[in-house]
Amino acid sequence: MKEDTPSERFEEQLAKLESIVARLEDDSVGLEEALDLFEEGMKLARACRARLESVEKRIEKLLEEAGQDEPVTEPLDTGPDVAP
Amino acid sequence: MTRKIWRVGDLIRGVNELLSQGFSGIWVEGEVTNASQSSRGHLYFTLKDASSALDCVMWGSRARSLRFNVEDGLAVTAFGSLTVYPQRGRFQLVVDQIEPQGAGALQLAFEQLKAKLAAEGLFAPERKRPLPALPQRVGIVTSATGAALRDMLKIFRRVSHVHVILAHATVQGEGAAAEIARGIERLGSSGLVDVLIVGRGGGSLEDLWAFNEEVVARAIAASPVPVISGVGHEVDFTIADFVADVRAATPTHAAEIVTSRIEEQEGRLDDAEGRLGRALMRHVALARARLNGLEGSSGLARVPQRIRLARTRLRAADRLPGLIERLAERVRLRLEAAEGTLRRTPAKLAAGTQREFLNGRIHALELAMHRQTERAGARLGSSERALGHLNPRAILDRGYSITVREGETAPLKNAAGIGPGTVLVTTLARGQLRSVAAPAPHRTSSRTSGVPDQPRLFDDGEER
Repeated sequence: MKEDTPSERFEEQLAKLESIVARLEDDSVGLEEALDLFEEGMKLARACRARLESVEKRIEKLLEEAGQDEPVTEPLDTGPDVAP
Repeated sequence: MTRKIWRVGDLIRGVNELLSQGFSGIWVEGEVTNASQSSRGHLYFTLKDASSALDCVMWGSRARSLRFNVEDGLAVTAFGSLTVYPQRGRFQLVVDQIEPQGAGALQLAFEQLKAKLAAEGLFAPERKRPLPALPQRVGIVTSATGAALRDMLKIFRRVSHVHVILAHATVQGEGAAAEIARGIERLGSSGLVDVLIVGRGGGSLEDLWAFNEEVVARAIAASPVPVISGVGHEVDFTIADFVADVRAATPTHAAEIVTSRIEEQEGRLDDAEGRLGRALMRHVALARARLNGLEGSSGLARVPQRIRLARTRLRAADRLPGLIERLAERVRLRLEAAEGTLRRTPAKLAAGTQREFLNGRIHALELAMHRQTERAGARLGSSERALGHLNPRAILDRGYSITVREGETAPLKNAAGIGPGTVLVTTLARGQLRSVAAPAPHRTSSRTSGVPDQPRLFDDGEER
């Protein structure tokens, strides 16, 4: 079976968090279960937040490889002097 | 009269000389039939009208620069020279240029490639891949010096958590299509990106032509990650747009599709977190209301039931302070995280207005967190009062007591784990005692020592 990409995992966890929230918003849920739901929800929220914030803002360009196997990037210099 | 006898070669040479005087550099129009191409790229076809046919050849060196396919049924105007091909003695037009009649060559080429790829199913809706939920790693194939890149980066700079990688490609003129295709292949298979944007700014049909070439269409179709096309203006449709998983009207629009997807997910997460906290707060409030309701229903009838109730209440009350504490801890952690973000943010952002905007947002978040902390504090206070109502005064009045470790609130239920020297606080009906646990007596009779066990409060033998 194909392994989930990080993006797919994010989507799954967020959807699960939303279903937990919906369940927690039901007043008939007991206090014990509410606490469990809250904790599970917090765990998922933290995982989603960590995934979202794991990508730092970067603007790079792909370099022409010179024999390397791995693609190489370097920061892209984008001044205001880019031609129209 | 002497016969003039020609050698075959001389005759053909002679004829070719005559032909070259009168029929070199001529335009001929007709309908293409019997079109075929040799492995060397030479193009053979017959031009015909209602009653006549003319064999034509276009050598590979010329045929390769044709943008459209010379197909049977096509009405064309061909430019070339009439010759007799010496080896076969066949009369033919050697074609230098060929133009379709009606539509222009580019338009025809576009229609032909579109029909061909459509027949292969490359534009089929079921081939379109959805964009990933969180397309934070974005590959862009365009010119490093073009307006399209500048416009797209303007959009991407507004988002905090996005990683953009450019693969530069010349986007018009000779070799552009091959460079674009190569950029798509390299970035797409690099494992560095979740999504690709392919495009360029506006221009003439000729300027945009690279995006109508088959090699670009094939590269898009083969890309391991979804491709968004953003070529020219709203009104421009290219073959790349048809093959791409998502067609954006412009390069700017392509960038916006990606950033709005990221922001949408951020919004969903913010919303879920907020609702999660509020929902738990509400459960705590409900639980407190239920406890108060139990307190009010006390009556003298049915004493055993009252004892069971009291026990239930005690258990719930035991649980409550811990719950509130944990909740307060969550709120405190989030506040600290928000403060951390506030401290880190100014260094990371260059644009002043953006920093102001973010500071404003973080400030609002801080205020909300402070309010939430206060609310949690208020709830803790009222829960303590609720606990006070539940204080088993009646039980204490009968000579029982409650012992806790100093500084803790959970009543001790088990002597195990209370080491010598532990400071204990015992609440009696009137006042509290502070005591220090003594070392256990010699193991003769911990259970059968002379000290009588305190009579058990409940007789179901439940012990934890």
